[in-house]
Amino acid sequence: MTTTAEHHKKIKDLHPQEGMAPGSPLCAGCGGLEGIRLALKELGDNVLVCNAAGCFTLLSVYPFTPFKGSWLYTTMAAPVPAAQGVRDALDIRRSHNRLANEDDFQVMVVAGDGSSADMGLSPTSAAIHRGLDFIYFCYDNEAYGNTGFQLSGTSPFGSATQTTPVTGEHPAGSEIRKKDLFEIWKAQNPPYIATVSPREPIDLSNKFARAKTMKGPRLFICLSPCPTGWGVDPKDSLLVAKLAVDTGIFPLKEYVDGQVIHNRIPRKRIPVEKYLEPQKRFHHLFVPKRQDDIIAKIQAGVDRYWERYE
Amino acid sequence: MLRVRFHGRGGQGIKTASQVLGTAAFLSGFQAQDFPLYGAERRGAPIVAFTRIDKEPILERGPVAFPDLILVGDETLLEDSQAAPACGADALTTLLVNSTKAPNSLKDKLNLLTMPVTCGLTKLCLKHLNAGMILSTALAAAAARLTGLIPLNHLLEAVEIELAEFSPEQLQKNLDLVREVFELLNPVVFQEREEAGLFPSKLMALEQQEVRDAAPLITATGNMNLRKTGNWRIHRPEIDYEECNHCMICYARCPEGVIKEDAEGKPEIDYDHCKGCMICAQECPKHAIKTLWEMDYEHQSQ
Ligand SMILES: Cc1ncc(C[n+]2csc(CCOP(=O)(O)OP(=O)(O)O)c2C)c(N)n1
Ligand code: SF4
Ligand code: SF4
Ligand code: SF4
Ligand SMILES: [Mg+2]
Repeated sequence: MTTTAEHHKKIKDLHPQEGMAPGSPLCAGCGGLEGIRLALKELGDNVLVCNAAGCFTLLSVYPFTPFKGSWLYTTMAAPVPAAQGVRDALDIRRSHNRLANEDDFQVMVVAGDGSSADMGLSPTSAAIHRGLDFIYFCYDNEAYGNTGFQLSGTSPFGSATQTTPVTGEHPAGSEIRKKDLFEIWKAQNPPYIATVSPREPIDLSNKFARAKTMKGPRLFICLSPCPTGWGVDPKDSLLVAKLAVDTGIFPLKEYVDGQVIHNRIPRKRIPVEKYLEPQKRFHHLFVPKRQDDIIAKIQAGVDRYWERYE
Repeated sequence: MLRVRFHGRGGQGIKTASQVLGTAAFLSGFQAQDFPLYGAERRGAPIVAFTRIDKEPILERGPVAFPDLILVGDETLLEDSQAAPACGADALTTLLVNSTKAPNSLKDKLNLLTMPVTCGLTKLCLKHLNAGMILSTALAAAAARLTGLIPLNHLLEAVEIELAEFSPEQLQKNLDLVREVFELLNPVVFQEREEAGLFPSKLMALEQQEVRDAAPLITATGNMNLRKTGNWRIHRPEIDYEECNHCMICYARCPEGVIKEDAEGKPEIDYDHCKGCMICAQECPKHAIKTLWEMDYEHQSQ
């Protein structure tokens, strides 16, 4: 395992620069916004973002942009083909000595979970196969957020979305399990995959510091509490992110050199219901009647995951 | 026809207010139309919703430009040029503001032709719902009462229909709130307008342009801070420097990146852009960040 030294040990080690200007139209308390803010603090200004349609398209609204680097807006399925195009263009300029190495850009795809795990998956798979040199930042709010919170491939079992409402026939809301994007990428053996949480700035920054020195396809999955879609007060969005880690629902991990490393194995995992209950999308599991069978199923899924590592 | 326009911020229940009013009017034997309008902005950003009420079928469509009744859920919107709640208010318009200020001070300040009605709905919401920001039923009740067209029983029934997903206790609290607001206000006499209340629309011929000119190309970098999102705030975080130990956790947690370390190593909030999410207050280990009402703060500073 070749991970470089930890650059950051405490809050004051975070890079002082802000990669983004404030004033965006994203919701107050957006967890994903905190994730990308921390990422750009570490990556710096020379980043060329290819942004798939989704909530984060609103980061740039004509004639304003928060980015110090460049930003390109693409359709939902095409941020990765766009990244291939700009990477190629930058490489051609470099080979003609028209772009100095220090002026080169880190090409970064920014896409929601719907784009990453559903619509854009096929071109992404092709790009990993070709070894495209790019960072992929997936902010996972576990639904199609921009269009009003419909089910996506990564919406969790037992959650209510606009397209999986709770009914007498479907008391759980969604009855489908979440796609595991980490494992999907891992099957293609890229150089780097990491999960990150906006509530864990040190862990997140160290992972970006590591990834930025590597080449090839590198994925970040950022759990992104969404006050609007998850039904939590904006002030609690990072608290929910913390609970996701403490319950073991969201493992903080990395895949480097063919190995999965857990950055934190919660010693004493707290019960999943502590994470579920504050969120309106899981409200039906608790009122008007507790649905113990569904809560137990969610808990069992988490327990089964960690049994392998404890 | 009576045309009503609701103004508020995303998350305050503005859309639901227009729906409750529409349903209550329908139950009272009227035709009704209700719908919200919001752009790309989210929770906290200005939002507007409309209700049209008439005895005859309503063929008019689109936003209401000249409302008979305007309800402003959040006083901080009055001076927000993006929200412009008083836009289109004329001599036939009644404007209700959720405020405890004297009506004539607002009339002068906003250059209104008619005397506004003020009512401290936030306090009532706090009393009944223990939440001062969910204004849906209170605003609907105020609107229903001011129209003079809707009896209380139909209003209560509409609330039950629109809040069908609520628990019985939550519903009851809303019904109590609605009753109190309804009894607090008096109906206004509205005069029928002659014109439809729509802006005349003109079609514009688009000429083909160079892609460079026609595409939304932004050549500036990092200029988003020209947009001031400070006016989204309903709550205002305020750092108590006596309590603060300069750990800078608030700076690390603020999604907007608007808490900076000043020259003395103390955290400082940029209120021009802080959206008031209150994550900093929630996450401060010393509980050194107080949660104030933006509305109260503005009163004090005036
Ligand atoms: C092919 C296609 N279908 C539908 C849409 C409409 N659409 C725009 S954003 C969006 C949701 C995207 O979800 P996700 O990728 O998870 O990002 P989020 O909105 O949650 O940030 C949808 C469905 C689209 N732009 N393109
Ligand atoms: S809907 Fe959710 S993900 Fe989208 S901007 Fe709002 S908080 Fe962020
Ligand atoms: S988190 Fe609290 S104690 Fe720490 S710097 Fe901010 S205000 Fe001060
Ligand atoms: S309330 Fe606090 S965390 Fe939220 S935007 Fe304002 S300063 Fe940042
Ligand atoms: Mg999404």
